[in-house]
Amino acid sequence: MKALLLLLATVGFVSEASGAPLVTGFERFHSKAASVEGGRLLFNELGCVNCHDVKTGLPSRSGPAIAGVTARLNAAWLREFLSNPDGAHHGSGMPRMLHGYEPVDIEAAIQYLGSLKPKGSAKLKVSRHTNARRGGELFHSVGCVACHAPRKDFKLGETIPSEADFTHASVTLPELKAKTSLAHLADFLLDPLKVRPDGRMPHMGLNEDDATDIAAYLIGFESSDPRLSPEVKSIATDAVLIERGRKIVAEARCAACHELPRDVGVEKVALKGAGGACLNPDTVKGIPRYGLSKAQVDALKSFLSAPGAEWSPTEQAALTVQSLNCVACHERDGIGGPDAARKHYFEGDHNLGDTGRYPPPLTAVGRKLQTDWMQKVLAGENRVRPYLKTRMPVYGASVQHLEKVLEEADTVVSSPLPGGDDTAGRKLLGTVGGIGCITCHRWGERASLGIQALDLSNLGQRIRPEWLYEYLLNPAAYRPGTLMPSFWPGGFSSNMAILGGDTAKQIASIYSFAKSANGEPEGFPTAGSSEFELVPKDRPIVQRTFMEGVGTHAILVGFPTGVHMAYDGQKGVPALMWKGRFFDAYNTWFSRFAPFEKPLDPNVVRWPSSDRSDEKDGVRFTGYRLEPSGSPVFITMKSGARIEDRFEGIEGGLRRVLVSADLAVEPEITHPADVSVSEEPGSRKGHRSFTYLWK
Amino acid sequence: MKISLILPVFSLCLGLFAEAGPYEIIDILTADAPTSSRSKEWKPGSGIALEVSGMDWMKDGRLALVTRKGEVWLVEGVLGGDPQKVGFKLFASGLHEPLGALAEGGGLLVAQRTEVTRLRDTDGDGVADEYLNAGRGWNISGAYHGYAYGPKRDGAGKPWVTLNLDMGDHSDNKAPWRGWAGVIGADGEFIPMAAGMRSPCGLGANSQGDMFCVDQQGTWIPSTPIYHLRKGAFFLNPEGIASQVRVDSPLRLSAKVPEKVSYPEAVRALPEMRPPAVWLPYNKMGRSGTDLAVCDARGKFGPFDGQLMVAEFTDAKVGRVFLEKVDGEYQGATFPFLDGFASGIVRLLFAGDGSLMVGMTSRGWSSLGTKAYGLQRVRWTGESVFEIKEMRARSDGFELVFTEPVDVASAGRTDSYTLKSYTYLYSSAYGSDEIESDELRVMSATAAKDARSVRLKVEGLRELFVHELRANGVRSVAGAPLVHPDAYYTLNRIPSER
Repeated sequence: MKALLLLLATVGFVSEASGAPLVTGFERFHSKAASVEGGRLLFNELGCVNCHDVKTGLPSRSGPAIAGVTARLNAAWLREFLSNPDGAHHGSGMPRMLHGYEPVDIEAAIQYLGSLKPKGSAKLKVSRHTNARRGGELFHSVGCVACHAPRKDFKLGETIPSEADFTHASVTLPELKAKTSLAHLADFLLDPLKVRPDGRMPHMGLNEDDATDIAAYLIGFESSDPRLSPEVKSIATDAVLIERGRKIVAEARCAACHELPRDVGVEKVALKGAGGACLNPDTVKGIPRYGLSKAQVDALKSFLSAPGAEWSPTEQAALTVQSLNCVACHERDGIGGPDAARKHYFEGDHNLGDTGRYPPPLTAVGRKLQTDWMQKVLAGENRVRPYLKTRMPVYGASVQHLEKVLEEADTVVSSPLPGGDDTAGRKLLGTVGGIGCITCHRWGERASLGIQALDLSNLGQRIRPEWLYEYLLNPAAYRPGTLMPSFWPGGFSSNMAILGGDTAKQIASIYSFAKSANGEPEGFPTAGSSEFELVPKDRPIVQRTFMEGVGTHAILVGFPTGVHMAYDGQKGVPALMWKGRFFDAYNTWFSRFAPFEKPLDPNVVRWPSSDRSDEKDGVRFTGYRLEPSGSPVFITMKSGARIEDRFEGIEGGLRRVLVSADLAVEPEITHPADVSVSEEPGSRKGHRSFTYLWK
Repeated sequence: MKISLILPVFSLCLGLFAEAGPYEIIDILTADAPTSSRSKEWKPGSGIALEVSGMDWMKDGRLALVTRKGEVWLVEGVLGGDPQKVGFKLFASGLHEPLGALAEGGGLLVAQRTEVTRLRDTDGDGVADEYLNAGRGWNISGAYHGYAYGPKRDGAGKPWVTLNLDMGDHSDNKAPWRGWAGVIGADGEFIPMAAGMRSPCGLGANSQGDMFCVDQQGTWIPSTPIYHLRKGAFFLNPEGIASQVRVDSPLRLSAKVPEKVSYPEAVRALPEMRPPAVWLPYNKMGRSGTDLAVCDARGKFGPFDGQLMVAEFTDAKVGRVFLEKVDGEYQGATFPFLDGFASGIVRLLFAGDGSLMVGMTSRGWSSLGTKAYGLQRVRWTGESVFEIKEMRARSDGFELVFTEPVDVASAGRTDSYTLKSYTYLYSSAYGSDEIESDELRVMSATAAKDARSVRLKVEGLRELFVHELRANGVRSVAGAPLVHPDAYYTLNRIPSER
């Protein structure tokens, strides 16, 4: 009973349809009336294009890796799936290929596929702990439910979206518990492109913990120990059957869609007009049986009746983002974006309004982003919206030329901006007589003064200047509901004091200053947020915090002489040394987001990390004492003997005295990189003294 | 009659105190405004931002105040009549959000995020010069809520520490001992004892030396509970249960954690689950419990010796808890008691003279207290206070014990009382409504001959439910109503008749 309930919960909001394959882009945008574009999308997404030599111009669509598949998937499930794909995975794009064959033939095909050596490493990457609850939260927040159905039993705040709000079909999932194991599913989710290189299930940027937890959630595995979960059952094999399977796999043309050895390879099949055999509901043996809906058949027919058509760049871009389902999250030209129900699952920084929750529109993105930048975004780099919980996936090879497609579609002739004036741009961005962009926008590492909107320091690398001009005149036209006001309403500047209020020059100057990467806008409090700067005056200041490069047990010591240090109180070793301003305790004392802190001055050198001993080496941090001058003496114990590491601020550096007289073997002593180190006269074994001077 | 009569305008003035009612609240140091400690004008060194997060009495009689920003102040003269003459001396600084204090020898043990630290002044200049690690063994992920609370000693002298669940960025509740309580062993290592906590902010032993802790409403925690801490117990929140697989775990859940069932069902489904000794119903008894202090005032704090005082953050008030043992397990009642404090209360500590020190900080969370932080002191003036002192479970009802003789006629009428009971939904949701609520019939009310107690026979007692009493009709001999006619009894077990 419980299992049934769970299954029902899993099915969630999916509206049951007939046994037709589900192509979400088709159902969402093309199912109302037969169109060439709808047919083109289907012809590509159903893999027709893999057998027939008809171009679709869309990202290639392939089947998953099936060499060695029995190691990954349960044979019982595979038998069911190959007999009737739609029965084992409702909505699957896999047609029935083995109708007309005997069960033993299906067994033979499975054994043959299982006998092949899979590509890549067999070692599964799985976390050592599972937390299905966390997996459920991730599943409903990182973007999985943009395409798949959210589960009804997942409570999302106070509201439960109504069924009627689900206006686009969800990509269905089979019963994963029957199909595979926790470990294999986790390994798959960690990098789906290994098994499904066509990117229709993209890489979601999950780490091992995330992937394992989501797998546990999907499979319904509730223990915290993944080793307790059932593994994929191995099957007995038979050489005769394997050979028989090889022939069946060749006959059934599996290699058209799936990567398989050459000896089962296939040739393209000539198309017999628009009334091909594949479109019949009851295909004969050897012809794929898709169970197409009437709308799908009609669409395919209209596409096939217009072969060799040329598509405009606009059509090309629109259909490409449908084939990859970019439109599940992004809107483009008023089409797509999450439906009303799914909007509930997009979370982020509520201070930023809708822009803090939803991925940006792709409207005009081809003339908004620079080519390099877009390539990097598609390759999984240059993520600029840390506040979105939804992650931008990585699609692999299928988006190789996407930036070109978008650029061709979106390019407009626009007059170039005039030359910019960096000084004026800097002033405009700042709050001292400028329009105050940094009131809301971050600048590199610098937090804005208010809400933490998009970082502007990368403007010159990310954005095309012409688009910036177009956008800034009326931000809401591009993004309705944005909190971003127009500072140039109707093309007239709200700041007449800078560059005489010349709109084009002002925007060009903002752009050119950002591009120059030469400093930061005026109006940040001072270097660092520095609201609560600790300034060592008469004696050293000790402050514990979390710090990057030091860890969670960081003990900072600020010296009045101006060179400071951080000690790692977990490993019992010094970690950082910096010159200049000491530390701002604002986040340590007040922030609710617990960032790992940085020194207030970027002038930082590190002790080599090889020196990072820890308790495994028998070194244990036991605390510190403060001398009457306030200089700290850090104490560690090793093999019952005491080591004292004393630091003192001196002009231009630090003096270090390390006493290990009780220890038979002197501990290894390392020094920070890039400072001049001199051992002092009188330094001797068990009682070393050094001077570290800033270069 | 209202027991706490500090008006907001009054407490703006440092050191004034109200001269009315049985309890007076004395300002020792409070902030000027709700945002003082976060004000941009406040700078390190520009004054004492007394965000109290730990308190204990030093051996020399001074009050040690640990602040959230990592300082320790030693305070002289807090028990004197004149708050102007209170002296503050900075003893230690630079600690990482310390949330507890325990005097030891001439020094002080303080739980900061990463460790318990022993602070000592070895050269006699009045300032700590030794910051030694005296307790360790839990994971620090860097998450904002990764707090450590304590230590506090139980009757056997063991120092207890509780560890908050991680929440927010960097959270890792699979790592050791988040959401657990334990004691610090002689070697300084954390010895896990009990699991299932979320924000176990305050610890305190009762007069018998048993250790209790107050947690806060949140995920899996329907309303503020007070747990009796002991080895092998699991309480409510399973988010940190992953640590049970570690070799030194004293606990291994023998069944799946149930969800979306009523709390009594959850207790039946999960053998290791130990009911809270007392639930503090949400809103009625405040919202976020933060600390416990046993009243050991030898009659100088009114007639409440042996009871636990429970601090509350959001409403800035102090409740009262009466505990009794039934079949060897604690259960009991909680009563509203004192309110009108300046800020979110975080720490309570009784003084040798029987007054109660109240340490506060609102920490940027919201509190009815209008100040950012402060230290106040509550003194009993000696005036009588008409309250339900105790509420005891009987096989067929309850016995109420009053602080003053009651008017026997009013106390003997069944319609002077109403009683209902309810429980909570046990689920991962944040808090729970009261569910399965039902009225109980009061069949008889019989006042004792000395008019100090009343025996109520009622129909419909339910184990593991909260029983909410209103004694609106009860009058004192002088005809006054109870200051607080409401009481909340957590009936984990119905006692058998002896």
